[in-house]
Amino acid sequence: MFYRRLLDRWLGVLLSIIGVVATLWLGVTGQLALYIHPRYFVFTIIMAVIAGVLALAAFVLVPDGAAAHPDEHGHADAGNRRWRRLGAAGSTLIAAAAVVGLLILPPSTLSTATVTQRDLNGSASTLSRDEAVELVGADYTAFTMKDWISLLRQGVGEEYLTGKTATVTGFVTPDKSDPENVFFAARFVVTCCAVDAQPIGLPVYSPGWQDRFDTDSWVTVSGGFRTNPSRFSDEVLVMVPDSIATVPEPDSPYVY
Amino acid sequence: MPVPATDKRVEARHDAPTHALPGTRRRPTAGLLIGLAVFAALLALRILAPAEEGSSWLADAARDFVSLSISVVIESLPFVFLGIVLSIGVQIWLPDGFLLRRLPAHPALRRPILSLLGMLLPVCECGNVPLARGLIVRGLTVSESMTFLFAAPILNPITIITTQQAFGWDNGILISRIAGGFLIANLIGWIYSRHPRPEALLTSRFQEECSLEDHAGQAAGKVGRSVQLFVRETGAMMPALFIGAGIAGLIQVGVPRDVLVSVGNSPVWSVAALMVLAFVVAVCSNVDAFFILSFGATFMPGSIVAFLVFGPMIDVKMLALLRTTFTAKTLLQLTVVVALCSAALGLAVNYVL
Repeated sequence: MFYRRLLDRWLGVLLSIIGVVATLWLGVTGQLALYIHPRYFVFTIIMAVIAGVLALAAFVLVPDGAAAHPDEHGHADAGNRRWRRLGAAGSTLIAAAAVVGLLILPPSTLSTATVTQRDLNGSASTLSRDEAVELVGADYTAFTMKDWISLLRQGVGEEYLTGKTATVTGFVTPDKSDPENVFFAARFVVTCCAVDAQPIGLPVYSPGWQDRFDTDSWVTVSGGFRTNPSRFSDEVLVMVPDSIATVPEPDSPYVY
Repeated sequence: MPVPATDKRVEARHDAPTHALPGTRRRPTAGLLIGLAVFAALLALRILAPAEEGSSWLADAARDFVSLSISVVIESLPFVFLGIVLSIGVQIWLPDGFLLRRLPAHPALRRPILSLLGMLLPVCECGNVPLARGLIVRGLTVSESMTFLFAAPILNPITIITTQQAFGWDNGILISRIAGGFLIANLIGWIYSRHPRPEALLTSRFQEECSLEDHAGQAAGKVGRSVQLFVRETGAMMPALFIGAGIAGLIQVGVPRDVLVSVGNSPVWSVAALMVLAFVVAVCSNVDAFFILSFGATFMPGSIVAFLVFGPMIDVKMLALLRTTFTAKTLLQLTVVVALCSAALGLAVNYVL
């Protein structure tokens, strides 16, 4: 009974503190970018600090018995004991899940499991056509993965690509149409936070790649483009790598 | 006999009897130490938790589920806190009657103005219910309070900013959401203003609960009441946020892509599906745009609008909160009217725009 009332009263504050601690720790260790767009960093940290101060003040100023849950009255005179017990179990579960998810599990990037749930290179919003037009004729050695994909989507011919080599870093994810011979060096594009991450990637023709690289491991691929030699793959142009090197996961794995 | 005032500003002036016995109040230093200990313990847990290797026992999909849910939480938290801080400012630090005194007297003018009150009271829907109860007690009619209740979560600066951040200006989602919210809230207000006995819409327990609420608000000084409000608001919003984030992650990982795509491409079914989703997940209006953003690529814009209009007005959590004030029959009528209007709006966006 005591536990239930304690939980009723302090669950919101406890969850806030869990969120604040997790946010500040991610901020200090430079991992906020795993979850949100950098433009929110400052705002997020400031609000976390304010909420942290308010939560501390709650411990100092709120007398026991004063901080009733607003919808408590609705349930109170319904007086159903079983429901209240269920509510307490639910609250405990939420608090436990928050602790495990935010404070115990190591932060991680999204993986191929999410790529298969979303269209690779499918989202028109992440790759704009106008940008691609400006790219033609620009200095290609500075092109990012996003730039190259924009160019390929725009349908530049093979003659434009002849003699040009690209160097891109991404995680390995198999091509759905020909997983034997072609993989994608892929990145997630984040608009707001990781929930809206859309995968983009460059197809790499490399028969038997599975023997050398794990799915979801990070590689830097360097090479030119040509018509896809694969008979099964849906991709028209692929990278034919001069070199593929395994690299550690970059500090900011997403692109914006 | 007048209903007892629920608003903290009014109630604080009466020299109310102390309900918290002196003995049950902790000494401030002890409280501070407990608070710091909780912070330190959680921080230690985070720092000592095993890095990378520990995650290998989780399957990829499970890990992505966790990552997606956490990103919703981390993204939404600052906005939830901002909403709470602003609502503390308006409810406790603004002078008494500051807002109500300035309302025009004519009902046809009052309702549109009231629906814009959310601009000044940027609380999301859960915070609005206690506020609306207080407004009824202080002389607002039932229908006017409904207009405020349904318009405020949408017509509020934080909701508008987050919707703009998520969807931008140019695809019509933001405009449809704002216009739709305004129109539906005023339609409801107009319908119920014609009700012959508006007090019959309220539960008989309303009075009793008002006096219960009085007990909750007793602490000396504005700072103390601000902190209490923080505790109450986080108590209402944080569990809903975490549950909503979990469901968001689960749907992203668990529902096969083909199902999402085929539902999302149908102008009718996409609207129906996202309205059901809005009803079930009950995310706060402040941050629901981030929640639904992940569906933006697969679902038609009209369904997104229906989600963004229906969700703030009616969902599981709101019905639970509203039941403290309105009768079940009233809530059923409200749900049907709001659902039909939102669906009509969504279909209109899908077929016309």
